[in-house]
Amino acid sequence: MSWWQALFMGLLQGATELFPVSSLGHAVLVPSLLHWAFKQSDPSFVPFLTLLHLGTATALLVLYWRQWIQIIRAFFTAAVRGRIATDDERLAMLLMVGTLPAAILGVYFENRIKGFFASPYEAAGFLIANGLLMLGFEVLRRRAERREAASAQTRAEVEERFTDAAHISFLAAVIVGACQALAFLPGISRSGVTIGGGLVAGLRHEEAARFSFLLATPTILGAGILEVPQLFSGSVPLATYVGAAVLAGLAAYASARFLLRYFRSGRLDPYGWYCVAAGLISFALLHFGL
Amino acid sequence: MSIGLVVVAVVCFVLAVLYGLGVLQIAVSDPHSPHHYTHMILFIVLGVAALIGANFTRQKAV
Repeated sequence: MSWWQALFMGLLQGATELFPVSSLGHAVLVPSLLHWAFKQSDPSFVPFLTLLHLGTATALLVLYWRQWIQIIRAFFTAAVRGRIATDDERLAMLLMVGTLPAAILGVYFENRIKGFFASPYEAAGFLIANGLLMLGFEVLRRRAERREAASAQTRAEVEERFTDAAHISFLAAVIVGACQALAFLPGISRSGVTIGGGLVAGLRHEEAARFSFLLATPTILGAGILEVPQLFSGSVPLATYVGAAVLAGLAAYASARFLLRYFRSGRLDPYGWYCVAAGLISFALLHFGL
Repeated sequence: MSIGLVVVAVVCFVLAVLYGLGVLQIAVSDPHSPHHYTHMILFIVLGVAALIGANFTRQKAV
């Protein structure tokens, strides 16, 4: 991978990681469609992507640093006391139970999941599936809105009928957390399935995005810290890769700010349609070798 | 419930040690590796989570 390709990948990953369009899917598909020489099956590719994820996780930490201090403090307070007394403590515990399923599934299915990284066809297929999932989540949400907020006049009023991140059930947090594991498949978006899961669990769109971003941080950081040592095992252009990670972080920060504003009134549908279209076009391009 | 979670925590810590020493080779990516630190860390985290769960479910003095 040349230096400019690495930087491009960094920008692409950072820009697509938090949008519900699967950064991994794009990272597998785009190089194949552009006929770049490097292979996704290369042993350094997954650690490279992981380093980019670390850039993204850093951006999320910067974005939510005040909240993370409160959450960590609340976590230890509640853990020692053995009782939840505040919203911050409840959110901290929700994040813990939401992170564990992804950690278990990640550790035990790591190898099988990595097998998918080599195939852009599978990434295109999963991208279509991701798009259909996003559209499906919004269909379920619209049904809930008709049920819960039939008298509401505006989008803001409709959203107000739903809850915030600290008030979903623990079972919902476990299910949303387990959904994160789907994102190990290139083409399935971590933020997409967790935002969608949050919507089905009754969160407002903006809160679903916030919960998704908070949930992603320990998962991405954990996976990154475990994978990064592999970067030092071979002849890896570390300076270029770190530059790419910085670009990924900057792009992710801008994306997160945009999405939090977007989801005050926006929905997942445009991203769902984009994923279906991008997957179908990728299939066609790959099939005809264009 | 509380005692059950403490037992789960102890089992998790034992599994963490066994994975760390390389004695346990269940569902590992490289069976030839002498240590499986990823699995070890996972089971330590699960053990701590089980202890927190035990603390939440124990009967508290009012």
